[in-house]
Amino acid sequence: MTGKDATRMIDARGLEPPEPMVRTLDALDHLESGDELLVLLPREPFPLYRALEINGFAWRTTCLPDGTVEVLIRHQTQ
Amino acid sequence: MQALLSFQQAPPLAAPVRFFLTAPLFAIAGGLLLAWSEPAVLLSRWTPTALALTHLLTAGFMLQVMLGALFQILPVVAGAHITRPLLVARLVHAALTAGALLLTAAFLSYEPLAFQLAVSLLGAGVALFVGAAGRALYGLPVSSPTIPGLKLALVGLSVTVCLGVLLAIALAGTSVLPLQQLTAVHLAWGLIGWGINLLAAVGFIVVPMFQMTPSYPEWFTRRFSWSLLVLLTAWGSVELAGGALAAAAFAATLVLVAAAFPVLTLHLQRRSRRARFDASQRYWRVAMLSLLLAGATCLAGNALTEFSEWQAWPWLCGILLLVGGFMSVMNGMLYKIVPFLVWMHLQNLGGGRFIAPSMNKVIATWQIERQMQMHCASLCLLVAATIWPEWVLRPAAMVFLLANAWLLRNLLAATSFFHQHRERIAALTTTATGRA
Repeated sequence: MTGKDATRMIDARGLEPPEPMVRTLDALDHLESGDELLVLLPREPFPLYRALEINGFAWRTTCLPDGTVEVLIRHQTQ
Repeated sequence: MQALLSFQQAPPLAAPVRFFLTAPLFAIAGGLLLAWSEPAVLLSRWTPTALALTHLLTAGFMLQVMLGALFQILPVVAGAHITRPLLVARLVHAALTAGALLLTAAFLSYEPLAFQLAVSLLGAGVALFVGAAGRALYGLPVSSPTIPGLKLALVGLSVTVCLGVLLAIALAGTSVLPLQQLTAVHLAWGLIGWGINLLAAVGFIVVPMFQMTPSYPEWFTRRFSWSLLVLLTAWGSVELAGGALAAAAFAATLVLVAAAFPVLTLHLQRRSRRARFDASQRYWRVAMLSLLLAGATCLAGNALTEFSEWQAWPWLCGILLLVGGFMSVMNGMLYKIVPFLVWMHLQNLGGGRFIAPSMNKVIATWQIERQMQMHCASLCLLVAATIWPEWVLRPAAMVFLLANAWLLRNLLAATSFFHQHRERIAALTTTATGRA
């Protein structure tokens, strides 16, 4: 599971809450099995983790040196 | 859209909202108390009215908002989940509300039993919250400076309440303690160790998030809270030991270090990517400027002989700090937190089939703007009342009361919005199920 392989990316670093969560969950509604969504955020999205957990998604978080948090998401069944 | 919350773990809307709806009632009571007072009340900070009013705003308004907000902030910004949040919220809220009311009554009556009951309830409520929040935060990886900041703020709250219990015991006449020094230490731990530390820990996240500013520098966020706590401990020890000169030097350093937060926040606000500031952002600006003016007043009151002879200077400092600083920022934060909570819970109730209305519709923008103008007018009038108490004190108290009644009205409008849309979603769900 790497960011380079993601089929879609959302750069939510300049967006005001709750827009990053709204856009991410909207994108997940259309995420096909086998596809991956990469979300770029300015901080760790704890409420998103909870939403991913209860909706059956797996994710991996990477903190980059510039402070950007990368969250790579896919369906848990993969 | 997917579901957002797990109702087994996420705090229900009722957990934080009960604190937010109670807080303005304490400020309204403070306005009434001030309106009933004689102008001479401004001649001393030690009168029963002054002490009762201070605690209506701190143990009443501020503590309710701060703990209510933490029920929401802990899971959202730190990933820290309080176990059984609704039960903890109910118990803490009941203890704090009864405790703050009894404390006000105790200061106005100097009844020993009222002091004992008040500190027992406040102590129990805060101990329960600190225990629950501490357990939620324990062992979490430090993914942002907010997490150690929140822990240190909880230490500040615990020290403040312990010192408050000691003072209440002394006031109830069962102990001989250096009251004046102990009060100064209690005040400093409450306003800086708890208040400024919590404000900074939360600000490190919410200022860049909601105000579209650059982040606070890492060197600052790592050191700020620790510096305040170390200085508070050093100053408090010297103050209680009676070293007047060293205590004055530590106190001045403490005020200057604490002032770094508002200075930096104002600097970051100037670099905001927003074309136009919203009410919350302007509330933050008023708050940061007020905190700086309060710091300057405190330094002048302790260093300049002529200024220190003006009897109302501690009141001016208190008004700038509590009404201008903390209450302004809390008003501004409530206008972000409450609409977000309403939106999030409605979105979740919709279960992906119904889209929740936008956050901006939860409380009408013009109502927020007018309430903010009223709050700022009350701040200006209260400051003016320290100079012309005979003319301005009662109008200032009434405008302060109205500003807080308006805040309550706006928060009630948000809860009413939630209930209306919840019923609508329930009706739509029933219709959709019937069709299926």
